Amino acid sequence: MKKIYVLVTLMCFIFLHAANAQNRLLSGLVTSADDGSTIPGVSVTVKGNLTLGAITDIEGKYQISVPSTAQTLVFSSVGMQKLEVAILSSNVINVSLMPIATNLDEIVVIGYGTQIKSKVTGNISKVNGDLIRNTPVPSVQQALQGKTAGVFVEANNGKVSGATRMRIRGSSSITANNEPLFIVDGVPLTTESLNQTGASINPLTSINFNDIESIDVLKDASSTAIYGSRGANGVILITTKKGKAGDTKLNVNFQYGYSKASHMREFLNTDQYISYFREAAYNSDLLEGYDPINNPDDYAGSWLQSAEKRFKRYSGWAAKLDASQTVPGKDYIGSQVNTDWQKQAFQIGGLQMFDFSASGGTEKLKYFASAAYNKQESIIVSNGLDRFSGRLNIDNKVNNFIDLGFTLSLARTNIRQVSADNAFSTPMQLVAMAPITPIRDLQGQLYGTPTTTYYNPLIDVEDTRRNILETRTVTNAYVKFTLMKGLAWRNELGYDLYNLKENSRYGKRTDAGQGINGYAISNYGQTQNLVTKSYLDYLKNFGDFGVSAVLGTEFQKTSVDNTWVDGQNFSTDDLKTLASAGLITSGTSTLNEYAFLSYFSRATFDYKSKYLVTLAGRIDESSRFGSKKREGFFPAVSAGWVITKEEFLANNSILSFLKIRTSYGKTGNAGIGNFRYLGLYGVTPYNGQPGLAPTQIANDNLGWESTRQLDFGLDFGIFQNRISGEIDYYVKKTKDLLLDVPVPGTSGFSVQTQNIGSVENKGFEFVLNTSNLVGDFKWSTSFNFSVNKNKVTDLGGQQIIDQGSSRFMNVVKVGEPLGVFYGAQYAGVDPANGDAIWYVNEKDANGNIINPAATTNDFASANFVVLGHPTPDNMAALTNTFEYKGIELSFTFQGVSGNKIHLTGDPYMAANAAWYDNQTTDQLASWKKPGDITNIPQARLGYDNGDQGRNSRYLSDGSYIKLRSLTLGYELPSDLIKKAKFERVRIYIQAQNLLTFTKYIGWDPEVSSDFAVDNVTSGVDFYSAPQPRSITLGINIGL
Amino acid sequence: MYNMKKIKSIMAIITLLILGSSCTKYLDLKPQQNLDESVALNSDANVKTVLIGAYRAMRYSAIYGGCILRNSELLGGTGEISWQGTYNGPREIYNHAIIAANGDITSQWLDSYICINICNNVLSALAVVDEADRGTVEGEALFLRSMMYFDLVRFYAQGYEPGAANSQLGVPLVLTPTHGISVTNNVGRNTVEEVYTQVLADLTRAATLLPDANGYYATSGAANALLSRVNLQKGNYAGARDAADKVISSELYSLTATYAQAFNNTESSSEDIFSTKFIPADGINQMTEFWSTTEYGGRDGDIEILDGHLSLYDPSDERLAMFWIGNDAYRSGKWNTQYGLVNLFRLAEMYLIRAECNQRLGTEVGDTPTNDYNMTHTRAGLAAAESVTLEDILLERRLELAHEGFKLHDMKRLKLNVGDLPYNDPKMIFPIPDREMSANPALKGQQNEGY
Repeated sequence: MKKIYVLVTLMCFIFLHAANAQNRLLSGLVTSADDGSTIPGVSVTVKGNLTLGAITDIEGKYQISVPSTAQTLVFSSVGMQKLEVAILSSNVINVSLMPIATNLDEIVVIGYGTQIKSKVTGNISKVNGDLIRNTPVPSVQQALQGKTAGVFVEANNGKVSGATRMRIRGSSSITANNEPLFIVDGVPLTTESLNQTGASINPLTSINFNDIESIDVLKDASSTAIYGSRGANGVILITTKKGKAGDTKLNVNFQYGYSKASHMREFLNTDQYISYFREAAYNSDLLEGYDPINNPDDYAGSWLQSAEKRFKRYSGWAAKLDASQTVPGKDYIGSQVNTDWQKQAFQIGGLQMFDFSASGGTEKLKYFASAAYNKQESIIVSNGLDRFSGRLNIDNKVNNFIDLGFTLSLARTNIRQVSADNAFSTPMQLVAMAPITPIRDLQGQLYGTPTTTYYNPLIDVEDTRRNILETRTVTNAYVKFTLMKGLAWRNELGYDLYNLKENSRYGKRTDAGQGINGYAISNYGQTQNLVTKSYLDYLKNFGDFGVSAVLGTEFQKTSVDNTWVDGQNFSTDDLKTLASAGLITSGTSTLNEYAFLSYFSRATFDYKSKYLVTLAGRIDESSRFGSKKREGFFPAVSAGWVITKEEFLANNSILSFLKIRTSYGKTGNAGIGNFRYLGLYGVTPYNGQPGLAPTQIANDNLGWESTRQLDFGLDFGIFQNRISGEIDYYVKKTKDLLLDVPVPGTSGFSVQTQNIGSVENKGFEFVLNTSNLVGDFKWSTSFNFSVNKNKVTDLGGQQIIDQGSSRFMNVVKVGEPLGVFYGAQYAGVDPANGDAIWYVNEKDANGNIINPAATTNDFASANFVVLGHPTPDNMAALTNTFEYKGIELSFTFQGVSGNKIHLTGDPYMAANAAWYDNQTTDQLASWKKPGDITNIPQARLGYDNGDQGRNSRYLSDGSYIKLRSLTLGYELPSDLIKKAKFERVRIYIQAQNLLTFTKYIGWDPEVSSDFAVDNVTSGVDFYSAPQPRSITLGINIGL
Repeated sequence: MYNMKKIKSIMAIITLLILGSSCTKYLDLKPQQNLDESVALNSDANVKTVLIGAYRAMRYSAIYGGCILRNSELLGGTGEISWQGTYNGPREIYNHAIIAANGDITSQWLDSYICINICNNVLSALAVVDEADRGTVEGEALFLRSMMYFDLVRFYAQGYEPGAANSQLGVPLVLTPTHGISVTNNVGRNTVEEVYTQVLADLTRAATLLPDANGYYATSGAANALLSRVNLQKGNYAGARDAADKVISSELYSLTATYAQAFNNTESSSEDIFSTKFIPADGINQMTEFWSTTEYGGRDGDIEILDGHLSLYDPSDERLAMFWIGNDAYRSGKWNTQYGLVNLFRLAEMYLIRAECNQRLGTEVGDTPTNDYNMTHTRAGLAAAESVTLEDILLERRLELAHEGFKLHDMKRLKLNVGDLPYNDPKMIFPIPDREMSANPALKGQQNEGY
């Protein structure tokens, strides 16, 4: 018996050994568990052996030769759950794969609930937190740039703390707010900044977007109607991460990087500056009938003399002037200085990030906690921010009846602010300085005026401290009672507390502090936003019918208060607080409040998940309107048909999913100041005495602005959803605009807020996601493209609203997009005399231009015409991701087109030497002699020869394509890191804004100067910093 | 357990209802920084506070905060001053190349009418003012309104031609407060004659109502001084002379000992009839801003004084010493005190008006033209003249009142060319602002020539 045993063992051993040397041929069929259809392109591999693999053919069949030692086969396919099957005796292994959450089946967050995307009848774009994680930008808005169709995001400039504009499906309002509603875990966020000096900062910088699980962008009326009066601009729902039952998961992330300006402009050097301004001065003299070079008597009082004096003044210690050598036209001999002032405005920026999170729990109690530190140094000198943030999210299932939990976040953001783009003290205005001016005098002190052309912003860098400290808590607590199966009652209390402390101290030599022995301000602002809501949530299936419904009420009260003190006359620059001010110049405090009371409901019905209908609506009452017009009702209806669920498409091998959907509804906008319906008097002091004066004219009929939006959409999936996408067409008509209507100034008022006028946005959105290659080498592409045509259709009888400016030319004009550029059309240079000329563009009674070819050199005689618009018509983004054995390469190109940018700083820096500002080198090509063909008029010092602001000479095409991001990551093999007890280790390098393709002649086409950006004025570049180009290195460790 | 559930469901619905109904009252919020118009004019104290608001409006940057004085010098001062600043708006004015969208001329228009509307509000509520103060309040409001209309008609319309019908377009006359916006607010331009008539009537009344002393606020002296100025502009020399004489003979004012003492004061000097005071808490002194340099809190020295002006002075004239070199150019030394007074009416002007009018009319009301001339002439350290001509008086006026906002209006009154432009060239007046032309249909076809 024993012998037999030994023999068998031996035989087995031999057999196994033999088998080990042999290969086994396995085959089978792979089908979908969802509908039984066969799946081509499934990758079949042997677990633990990366070299072996096969792919299923068009009929879903595979064959794979495996070593006899192989124990497990792994089936994987895009859109399907990975399946591991043990290899048993049979050589035929048929499997069926479960579809996983492709973007068609994922859960999307909708207002007051969630829904499976395939059942959604509105238009909601979901962005997974993974897609924006670790993006080296300061704000969540910038992280979203290019991620979804129909969403326009633009940072005002390259300052790290600056505001960002965001438009979902275009701008629908002229006076009221156009920014979308941001909601984090059910709490509407305060997005208005509270700083009182410099440009507005972006309060959403306080969000650590590595905590974000998903962002859902609600775009059409059906999805936004449940937010009623605040839905018209779209809604951004941010959901933060929640814990999952199971082992504690730890995640550690480090990131470190550098940034620099993505583009510089070229300015004159010393030799060019001197010779060009001499040329300009002499031209002006000749124009006035003097010739100081050939007639020395003409020199005194000439432009040339004036220029020579300036050269001497601007050169400081470096001036070389020998009175005995004075020859007409050559008072100034030369400078040994050649300062690149532009360079002084910039620095190497940097980014440091450390981020830690832990999550886990039991079925009863789950948590997610995080802590993060983020430091960003701007590419602009003396600008930067650092942020500490923390979060704790807890969900507790008390019993089958009660669920409760909360989300709590804390953030402390410290901003080193620089002044707004229009301030002399803003670093970018350094470019105006003459290259002949040394930076410092021989004692090492920074030069100021009169040696520098203007106030030297470097004095601000040295002697000014502008600190903004924001602290913010956003919290939401809930308790949910499950009243019966399918019926829950949820109550929430949300609170957003946003505090801002702003302390600025300007030294004696600074712009703000000179003449008054230094200046300081202290500003404290607080916005409290309290939201309570209570709603019933019902979900039930009746056979083939599915019903879900929500019914509830919400109350929100927001109060904003501010306290301000400023003072001057400090004994020394070393004392920083107002306690040391000799004179407190002013002090004030203000309180502003508003409240909304709302009732909302939504009901969705489906039949076999095939026919879908949703009704939604909200009634809002707001303190912003008088009792006559306080209430607004905002309903929407939508329907969808999942055609692929029909018999005739059930077994279609190509089309895996097809849904058509449509929605129509009304949403509102109350994004105006408080009490705009009242006739008000405000305090205006005179000689220290309080005075009162009318500040606002009454309109007790003031009511909601409403937007009606129609959307047709189509969602599709082809080849097992390896190709999927969405197509949408929408028409958004906004009427009864909350419009600050210009009234005759003779009334003593300039505007009255009225419900007048209408704006239309029409657009098309296209989203395509493809899995081009599957298997070991994976290649996927995602593409989105959108078109939005914006048009002001009515202004209540007026044809145009022009604020009146010689510098800016954005206006509101019927029949044109909001904020069109309206000014004189530049016709170039008269070859005969070097004059700048414009098209006369005189119109007849019908508005037709009488003689399109007629030109004039008199700017005032050139009739204004529409010259372009500031907001892009087209936006697109293309992301390609390649993966191979843990190596991932991903890059995103993003671009816009159709917009123009008004270079409002160029009438100073590209003005053919109209004044002493340093000029861009392209100005050297100015007209020199009769017959010259050029676009740059003759240089004439002190004359407006083509440098007028409202002038198409200073419009440039704002279209661009940027290589927005490039990421190369490597995930260390799991068997390697498992030994070190790591779950996951990924190292990566990423670059932002590596390449820009544009015809734009300024610094960066992604611009809307921070002091000149509102609904109407935008697309203005006035000494605005370009976006940074950054490279960061990071490591992500999961434990 | 089931019962428990039921109770809670009922509680839920009740809570929901309570929550819904009790919140409505929270929507009745009131403004915290503003007063409803229904109560702003309902008491003596409130009306007087609103009157202070009218002074504040008068002092807005675009008007008597200084720009209205600056604009007169820029548009009329060709050859004597030079605009060297970067701002486009003033540069257009200086170059006589104004576009109707010019921000400065738009603000000047709007701010003037803001002040007018506040005055109209005060005038509509006189009934609630204590009887003792009612005349003063009315007089102050009439004075301020007149000042606004006088400047509007001088800048935005062709000048007054003595002896002519003056039916050329002036500015819209609005004399009642605005309480709502309707078609009645679309008011077209009145004639120049109508505007002057209104201004003179209001000032004449104001002069009788106002007290002799009233702190920094308008007095009978101020009303008479303005009355004198308006009559002079109108070519009514007798009227101008008599009003000026009333101011002088009131003996409430006296010339400061030196010329320099009349300026850069933080309190009224003995010769100030009416001035506006800047304190750090309200308003920006636009005269310092544009005429001075950074060391005094101004900009970079946007306005330079040219030889064309400086060469007019006798070298020993103390007024010449007021000019100083800042940032490589001559600057007016009148506005180097950022937080101080900007003189709007000085006694010196009254002497010079009386001298000019007496000279023109061959009269000696108050005193001889020579004596009046010598008042300012000798104060400037110059030898007294034995006799004077009209040209002497006009030159004295030009020097004494230099850069105080008289330039443009004197050039027009005296029918002098500004550079190459005749005094009545279309480019010598402002356009009606573009925004006004499109906001007010009644102005259709009423834009000034050349705009």
